[in-house]
Amino acid sequence: MGDYPVLLIIWLTPLLGAVLCWSFGPQLKRNAGALGSAAIAASLLATLSAWNLASQQNGTQLGVQQHLFSWLPGFDFGLLLDPLSLIWVLIITGVGLLIHIYSIGYMWTDNAIARFFAYMNFFVFSMLTLVLSDNFTGLLVGWGLVGLASYFLIGFWFFKPSAVAAARKAFVINVVGDVGIMFAIFIIFAHVGSLRFGDVFAHPHALDPYLFLTCVFLFIGAAAKSAQLPLHTWLPDAMEGPTPVSALIHAATMVTAGVYLIARCAPLWSASHDAQVLAATVGCLTALAGASLGVAQWDIKRILAYSTMSQIGYMIMGVGVTAYSAGVAHFFTHAFFKACLFLGAGIVIHELSDEQDIRLMGGMRNRVPVAFWSMLAAVLAISGVPGFSGYFSKDQVIYGALEHGYTWMWAVGLITAGITAYYMFRLFFLTFFGTYRGTLPPDQLGITTGLAGSTAAIAHERHEPHGETHTHAPAWIMAVPVGILGFFSFAAGYMMMGPGSPWARFFANSFPHQALPPATISEGLTSVLAVLMLLIGFAIAYARYMTPRAIAQAPARLKHESQTLPRVLVRLYYFDDLIELLVVRPAQALGTFFTRWVEPHLIDGAVREVVFTNRFFGAVVASFQTGLLRAYALVIVFGAAIFAVYYAIAGGAH
Amino acid sequence: MSLLLILLPILAGGALFFLPRTDRTISRSVGSAVAAITFILPLTGGAGTFHAHWLARPFTASLHFAWDGISLWLVLLLALCTFSAVLATNMRETRTMVALLLMLEGTMMGVFAARDILAFALFWDLMLLPPFFALIGWGEHRDTAWRYLLYNFAGGLLLLLATAAFGVLYGSTDVLGSGSHPVIGGWASWIFAGFAIAFAVKTPLFPLHTWMPATYTESPSPMAAVVSAVQSKAGLYGFLVITIPFLPGAMSEWRWAFFAAGLVSLIYGALIALVQNDAKRVVAYSSLSHLGLIVLGIFSLNAVALQGALIYIVAHGLFSAALFLILGYVAEREGTRSLLRLGGIGAYNPILAGAFTIAALAALGLPGLGGFAGELVILTGVFRAGYFWPALIALIPIVLASAYMLRLLQDIMNGPEVKDIPQRPDLSGFEIFAVAPLLAALLVLGVYPHPLTSTIAAIFGGRP
Repeated sequence: MGDYPVLLIIWLTPLLGAVLCWSFGPQLKRNAGALGSAAIAASLLATLSAWNLASQQNGTQLGVQQHLFSWLPGFDFGLLLDPLSLIWVLIITGVGLLIHIYSIGYMWTDNAIARFFAYMNFFVFSMLTLVLSDNFTGLLVGWGLVGLASYFLIGFWFFKPSAVAAARKAFVINVVGDVGIMFAIFIIFAHVGSLRFGDVFAHPHALDPYLFLTCVFLFIGAAAKSAQLPLHTWLPDAMEGPTPVSALIHAATMVTAGVYLIARCAPLWSASHDAQVLAATVGCLTALAGASLGVAQWDIKRILAYSTMSQIGYMIMGVGVTAYSAGVAHFFTHAFFKACLFLGAGIVIHELSDEQDIRLMGGMRNRVPVAFWSMLAAVLAISGVPGFSGYFSKDQVIYGALEHGYTWMWAVGLITAGITAYYMFRLFFLTFFGTYRGTLPPDQLGITTGLAGSTAAIAHERHEPHGETHTHAPAWIMAVPVGILGFFSFAAGYMMMGPGSPWARFFANSFPHQALPPATISEGLTSVLAVLMLLIGFAIAYARYMTPRAIAQAPARLKHESQTLPRVLVRLYYFDDLIELLVVRPAQALGTFFTRWVEPHLIDGAVREVVFTNRFFGAVVASFQTGLLRAYALVIVFGAAIFAVYYAIAGGAH
Repeated sequence: MSLLLILLPILAGGALFFLPRTDRTISRSVGSAVAAITFILPLTGGAGTFHAHWLARPFTASLHFAWDGISLWLVLLLALCTFSAVLATNMRETRTMVALLLMLEGTMMGVFAARDILAFALFWDLMLLPPFFALIGWGEHRDTAWRYLLYNFAGGLLLLLATAAFGVLYGSTDVLGSGSHPVIGGWASWIFAGFAIAFAVKTPLFPLHTWMPATYTESPSPMAAVVSAVQSKAGLYGFLVITIPFLPGAMSEWRWAFFAAGLVSLIYGALIALVQNDAKRVVAYSSLSHLGLIVLGIFSLNAVALQGALIYIVAHGLFSAALFLILGYVAEREGTRSLLRLGGIGAYNPILAGAFTIAALAALGLPGLGGFAGELVILTGVFRAGYFWPALIALIPIVLASAYMLRLLQDIMNGPEVKDIPQRPDLSGFEIFAVAPLLAALLVLGVYPHPLTSTIAAIFGGRP
């Protein structure tokens, strides 16, 4: 199969959109939203047109390719669209398009709307670079560029110190991941001599004895990008960005890049049992940690952020145990229900003028019915209610762990499912039911400090102080995308039912196959247990927040809960403190030590001779006037000395 | 004709002194025109070569200059940076600064185009004078100027001694770019030491860097830009064209020492850059760090790493020049370089913020800009050459670089506006035109560095 230039259209149209939005921002103003969305739509249409060829075997090649250029032998660039990248591209452009359209409404009154769409389009371009590359270098380029887009969008409101700090933190932690992938590239280049996926995956054992090490470093990249322990701390802070950003980058697409990486490197993972244990263990623990932290949050977006971390933990666990298509399936359904949750939350936040604390919400059911119904579908999906999309994919992951012999991960996965149901219904009940609590004084609800996103000052900075502030985007522009996502949150799982499902057939040639002995506990029983856990989580949430008594006493109960949350959860398992203590402080202390002591005393001390000479010469020429004259004189003296030495050695000219 | 690239900038620089001291327009126009000519001429291959006999005894030396191979890229970098620096010059006695910049360009043209080591050494010493006078005229402490000059002259002296010894042993110094017959015997190590110390001082390499932070910080921004971007590459260029072809034995013998010095420079510079509050000092120490990486690549003696080294030499030149010019704009506007004072100026200077962002991202190794390609290819080669731990350790400063570069960028550009610093208008057309070519070149280099890698591959391709 030769080159397939449609890939260039898929790949570059969003870049074009970004450049146009950036260059003509002042002229475009709000039309930047339409332009940006059109660019993504074009990319989506091109992808759909490539569907057939991309999802089938063409000669020896699965999918279609486009060769680009080369830096030097071994560093060749090209694009590849095969079933795995096709799924990602569909989500990136499809869900991306919905989020772009939604953003037109969400960012309507923001002064910098053109800049916003330039960044969003740039993100889509970067993410497409990541998933379309047919080699590790291109993947790494995309990996870095999505980090940059994320940095820009987290720090979109750059006048806000917390946003600036969050952006920097996200970027630096992601660079840790980038250099992880860089080191894997070193190993691969040294042992294979090529960085193209096809060449590397043809003989995974060419990497021996460094195969496991390669996987470890690839996994560092995956962990940083996908917010896996202990590199997850940037993700909750990343909620400083506008809500559509959280939906697109920090929920549906970018943070799942780690899942993509492992699924893409399936031949390596399948060849290294240690790598499987590593990825699956970290994924499993992240799922549990994220869910348990979500329980103790009050900021609606931070709850969703920890939920994202937890759900990606599931995906990593899935691909880690080599249940690749299950992990990818969970990515697919998660993209819909999590984007739906974020966009729904965005509608609520919008309605409440940038309020994000769920203690100050309540009774939103009637004020934003679209958000209510869509988020209901998404909450049911993420909790794993049978018939909703999350049910199919999450069960596949949990059962996959069991099937591949990781019984304890199966158990942790089930427990996490229960916790997930609890914190999601907690959010849902507190936001949409009961009575509106936003008019109560915050201290009555146990709120001691204002939450990051909830200051009126931001709204003041963001919007023009006069004039257009009062115009509103048409209501449908935010409602329709949320509704569509709500529908897919329900429906996206049906194609994954059963062993011969369309989903399984789609990936039939993508992943290495492994014959497995039947597990001791059946898939049916796993599903029953998962539903049981869901019911327990739901019941606790219901008892605490939804009974008539709970609703009547809500302020007092919330205050009590705020004050009695376990410290270990409030301090987020001390990860931030540990990183500060073990990495940031020592680096700064060393830098300060070098600046204050080593530089002036040790390094300069060693060259006191020069300083002495300087003073010596200074004394000699003190009779000269200060200024340039002195300089000239000294240079002449020095120059003469050098030439004397030179002639002494060279013995004179011919 | 072919000496034009050296003589034109020097003579034009000299001629500027006939203009009144207060002149801006004419000197900047002349300066940028000269720089543009010196950029276009070698690019179109119109520079030719120059060859004239100089010495016959005790060894042959020639005034031999050519503008191809590795030289070409450094000459282009030099001309581009000079062009930008001249355009960005806007200060007390602009005329004198432009004159010094042109003279610096001319002398450095001699360094990079010389095909004779003696001519190389001669121009090496000459190129120290313009920055010295700039430091005397505009620097904050006179000591800094003297330290710069004496320290680098000391290196230059060693270079000259090594050159003489090389000539006596080898019979000729007119050897650069002519293939290689390694110098062998007991003297090789001494000759290498002379070259290597001179180059290490100029680069600079830990612990010989003590002249550098103050020089870069106190030099006026246009001068700091050219010195940090191009002059610091003279040593690295020397390693590439002199010691690798002619002293390979001594080079691998002393490899461990330069690996150690390179790694220490990398980490030490990065850690110091992390806590500096003077914006220019952050960039100065980041230079120490980045150039340590190139030394690592060169001393791995691996063909891939050498390709990366040339990419990074040019990339560092571009982003370093851009950063110094941009920090100059900032300091000129706000009257301070302190990260503790500055803040939020991006809100009313979006173009300045955009340019600064691109330069800082290139410096921290963002994919798509030149620095990334250099880092990745260098370290891939270092690992390929069998250096597992150096390649691994060298990744730490990449993380640190993102921390200090973003700190630099954000502390100046982002955050709430600081009330008591002046709000000045955004970049003027002149100022944009000065940095835009540097940033555009970074993008081109980051996407398609193939012309540079093929230059190196043609010279060192036979290596493992």
